[in-house]
Amino acid sequence: MTVLLSVENLTQRFGGLVAVDDVSLAVDEGSIFSLIGPNGAGKTTLFNLISAIFPPSEGRIMFGERALHKASTHQLAEFGIGRTFQNLAVFHHATVVQNLLVGLHHRLKANILTAPFFWGRPRDEEIRARRSVEEIIDFLEFEHLRDVPVGQLSYGLQKRVELGRALAIAPKLLLLDEMVSGMNSEETEDIARFILDIREEFGITIMMVEHDMGVVMDISDRVAVLDHGQLICVGSPADVSQNPDVIKAYLGKK
Amino acid sequence: MRTGNHIESYPRHIALSDSVVVWFWLAVLMMALIMLPAVSGLFVLGLAIRILIAAVGAIGLNLLTGSTGQISLGQSGFLAAGCYTTGLLIADYNWPPELALPMSGFVTAALSLLVGIPSLRLKGLYLAITTLAFSFIITQFLLFAEPITHGPYGVRIENTTFFGVDLARPTALYYFCLAVLVLVTLGVLNIMRTRVGRAFNAIRDHDIAARAMGVNLTIYKLTAFGASSFIVGLAGGLMAFQFRFINVDIFSVTLAIEALAMIIVGGLGSVAGAIIGAAFIIILPEVVGDAIALLPDAVGEVLANGALEVKGLLIGLVIILTLRLEPDGLIGVWRNTKRYWSRWPLSV
Repeated sequence: MTVLLSVENLTQRFGGLVAVDDVSLAVDEGSIFSLIGPNGAGKTTLFNLISAIFPPSEGRIMFGERALHKASTHQLAEFGIGRTFQNLAVFHHATVVQNLLVGLHHRLKANILTAPFFWGRPRDEEIRARRSVEEIIDFLEFEHLRDVPVGQLSYGLQKRVELGRALAIAPKLLLLDEMVSGMNSEETEDIARFILDIREEFGITIMMVEHDMGVVMDISDRVAVLDHGQLICVGSPADVSQNPDVIKAYLGKK
Repeated sequence: MRTGNHIESYPRHIALSDSVVVWFWLAVLMMALIMLPAVSGLFVLGLAIRILIAAVGAIGLNLLTGSTGQISLGQSGFLAAGCYTTGLLIADYNWPPELALPMSGFVTAALSLLVGIPSLRLKGLYLAITTLAFSFIITQFLLFAEPITHGPYGVRIENTTFFGVDLARPTALYYFCLAVLVLVTLGVLNIMRTRVGRAFNAIRDHDIAARAMGVNLTIYKLTAFGASSFIVGLAGGLMAFQFRFINVDIFSVTLAIEALAMIIVGGLGSVAGAIIGAAFIIILPEVVGDAIALLPDAVGEVLANGALEVKGLLIGLVIILTLRLEPDGLIGVWRNTKRYWSRWPLSV
């Protein structure tokens, strides 16, 4: 299997705090890779480093030939990386369709000089964009919510819109930061099913930070465990759940 | 039975409005606006011109503050830049007005990048203060760079002939401003339905998510500054034709607050709201002025002497009332009314 994303000796310091400490890991193409660990273990920091929100103190992140540790956040969509956020980061005032259309940004061409005149190329491009958004709406099953401002939707549905928006990027790698936190079991099941379908139908590799062990153990191919910024274990869900270091990190020593 | 408004093609989805009723009433409104000079007196026409110019300026400001979420208090500075560009180019450099007016847009846009680039990392209040300071710099420059700007003496514009039409005639100026407003409105509505407009809204709602979706924050913030100021510059240029004698005193901070009031009262982020808000803020003091005239003499005299203060008071009041009662502004009131009637008798 080919490696899609590799993290090499990554370290991030915030003042005296080492949030991510010399972490190396590889995500295989087409896999579902989960990142777990107790609160404050550095999972979200690692995610933010991968999505180039800030540059790492040390180390490299390679996405194929692209060096993510040197990239800017806005380039990621173009590289083929989509992400969702831990706290809702939808565009509240915009409708579901408009939210999804933002995900298409990097594939469209209109600029401030062509946009005011609209008729012609920008219009053709908008029609095409509208059509591809419709495919995502169909996939995520919110046809009836198309024109509802996202701020009016329930938490679970807003999360689903955020997932749709990341899908609109047409990513090779999808980063999901605590997708199911705060969801009821039915919503959680829906999301887990969508994640499996996304890999199945679109062949997208998925990397997720997750606290819900049910989801992690059920759908992951590989699980990495972080504790105090250090990678303590990588392996299949079964291996990880038996690992004494992992049990110690979660439950403490006897 | 009618079950809803079903749209069956993608082109209809992205149309400005797919409703025949909306287009019909817009046509009626346009007809009424075209007929206006035939039936109105000079006073009403003057008021209409002020509304049209203010609406152009408000649409410009709204693009930056309402749609992109970058609060600007620099409106008077940008208007001054546009107004003086047109005025000086015509009066001192003998430019034809046809070229001087668009140049106002470009010069103001260029100046806005000057304040935009150092402000890229600023948000909210800090940006508001920076733009306010910038506006002071512009007006102070206009006041003290006397060799270039005539300083306190102001600029008189003699040549106001635009493609053979003399804009010194109120009727001609009215139609000209109307045409500019219609073009600006269409342009901005078009911008807002492409990826550029969506990027603006995305920056306003959640800038980090916007970046993760591939929106280059630097480029789009500067684009918003530039596009917004281009339009404000045009409005400033129109003011040069409106006054024909321009002076720095016109461009006070109050003007910037009034512009902000227009877009807040109209409804932030809405083009129609900016136009309605402009009309509201321009007409309000006139209506209140007439009402004051009806008051007993003693009270009326006090209020009439402090006309400027009364106006400031009113604008403050409507901003507070709007924020308190209907944050979406007049356009929000309109939407709610529409929803109420379309769902009646099930509406609450």
